[in-house]
Amino acid sequence: MAILEVDNLKAYYVTQTFGRSSTVRAVDGVSFHVNKNEIYGIAGESGCGKSTLLKAISGLVKPPLQILGGEIRYNFADQQLNILDLKDEKQRRRLRGARISLIPQGSMSVLNPVRRIKKSFEDVIYAHLDVSEGEFEELVKNHLEALGLDWTVMHTYPHQLSGGMRQRVTIALSTILRPEIIFADEPTTALDVVVQRGVIQLIKKIKEEQQNTLILVTHDMSVHATLCDRLAVMYAGEIVEEGDVKSLFGSPKHPYTSMLLSSLPKIGDKSARVSAPGAPPSLANPPAGCRFHPRCPYAVDRCRQETPALRQLNETHRVACFLQEAGSMELQGRAANEQ
Amino acid sequence: MNSEKLLVVDNVTKVFTKGQGFVKSKIEAVSRVSFALERNRPEIFTLAGESGSGKSTVAKLILGFEIPTTGSIVYKGNPVGGLKGKREFIKDVQPIFQNPFETFNPLKKVQSYFHDTERNFSKFSPGKYPLTERALELVGLTASEIKDKYPSEMSGGQLQRASIARALITNPSLLIADEPVSMIDASLRMSVVNLFKRLKDEQKVSIIYITHDLATAYYISDRIAIMLRGQFVEVGAVKKVLDEPLHPYSQLLKASVPAPDPETRWSEDITLSDLETREYTRKGCKFAGRCPKAFDLCREQEPEHHAVDDRLVKCHLYA
Repeated sequence: MAILEVDNLKAYYVTQTFGRSSTVRAVDGVSFHVNKNEIYGIAGESGCGKSTLLKAISGLVKPPLQILGGEIRYNFADQQLNILDLKDEKQRRRLRGARISLIPQGSMSVLNPVRRIKKSFEDVIYAHLDVSEGEFEELVKNHLEALGLDWTVMHTYPHQLSGGMRQRVTIALSTILRPEIIFADEPTTALDVVVQRGVIQLIKKIKEEQQNTLILVTHDMSVHATLCDRLAVMYAGEIVEEGDVKSLFGSPKHPYTSMLLSSLPKIGDKSARVSAPGAPPSLANPPAGCRFHPRCPYAVDRCRQETPALRQLNETHRVACFLQEAGSMELQGRAANEQ
Repeated sequence: MNSEKLLVVDNVTKVFTKGQGFVKSKIEAVSRVSFALERNRPEIFTLAGESGSGKSTVAKLILGFEIPTTGSIVYKGNPVGGLKGKREFIKDVQPIFQNPFETFNPLKKVQSYFHDTERNFSKFSPGKYPLTERALELVGLTASEIKDKYPSEMSGGQLQRASIARALITNPSLLIADEPVSMIDASLRMSVVNLFKRLKDEQKVSIIYITHDLATAYYISDRIAIMLRGQFVEVGAVKKVLDEPLHPYSQLLKASVPAPDPETRWSEDITLSDLETREYTRKGCKFAGRCPKAFDLCREQEPEHHAVDDRLVKCHLYA
């Protein structure tokens, strides 16, 4: 069952400078759903709109960011709601932390440097639960123990902890109220490989223990491959391909995805790798038609004029590319030959 | 005597002291590190390790930003940091930094860096910048692409290539690249990595490539040194070291790199390190606290470098 449904979401940054307004279309017509109990990945490069998408669905919309269309529906067990209908910040705050929770990017800067870790935990817990100090301690102790952390970290300041430790504390803080949906924004970026592996293990463990749904946003395809059940690939504000990880990594259908995957170097393989020509477009002025066409080796006239829709290929795989439509078999053959 | 060598790093140690008086503590950021690069055989030498392993300190020592506590660094026969051959050294050894948006001043036009460098290092005729054009051509940019542009107007990949081009103006023999691709988007990353490979093959530039990313290290480098808490724990040809790592730490590092393939997921759990500083001050082998194969000797005595199968491994297992 889908716990989160996003329908044709448009989130734009609208700014006014000297009377001239400019619009950055960071999320442009994105639709997807996330099933209960799965790990859903969102991949893409910096500036493709993945963090904006996360902000929009967790209700963290502040000017200049505006939602100009679409729906975001949560289907909790006891309640259904559209987060865009919540006009009151108080209502949204009650939702965040308790039912949906965000593991933010950059653990270096999310913890207050002049307050002990315990204070941050107190802020989160007392905002949502009416508990006594003893109950608070028991709750935190049990949670930390389950995550393999020590109670002594509660009395430290953030600078006393290593980067990996800080990230683990942040994860513990985000999950202490057993949220139904966890959003993780680049949770392992800027961590060392060994620590990254530890954090991935931790996220997996929490997910299994608390039986919740995880939405993982990162640019690192390898992390997606190790964690996710299903994966969406974003390019220039749009989802270009979505599918379960095995079929997406096994046979990517969009030229951008296949380029992204084939450019990844692997240990044990020294064969030459190339990256795509050109650079991602500016979202203030994206190219007409398919936004990938200036960098696409298979682009035809149609790609320059029409925007391909995200079409269902089979039960688990969706792709936005004219190459995959019927009648383009000849193009597909050419693509296969060149590979 | 070292005329055949481009760079000789001999038994270099760098100690940083922290605090004052009674609470003074010492950290050996780099501990007895030795390696050499040949003059006539350009190569890409990778320093790989986690953050806090001392790999950036090695780069600073080679560039002369830091003075070694003990040991010596000799570049083309002259000690680094001395006055003799200093101008030659600055021309010959060029750094490339991690984040191109921090390399360039956001309020200065990118071209001014090229023009200043060219003015400083060559005979200059006003209005003409032949070396700039040549350097830009080498990295696949044109003068019109950077003309009158501020750093914010360029993409990360473009800007990093511009940063490499700036380093190439003086026609260097050695580039020190500290995490040059970690801030660049995945779809552009390989263009910079391939550029390093081409510079080595075509321009005969040696490169010291500092990274935590073993996959790109495997892709471009010839030799690799795995660093842990200031020490080289394994040094050798990249194919040998990463195909079949011998040191338990190298093995852990290799096993922790997630593969871009959903079929191969990890099954077993790992232990994370205790506080960094605790590992720095550890007696014996620095890895003993996390090593699955550690025995009593490891906790007592620091292992020597043992030559095994064309490489050096700092581990008691291979004594």
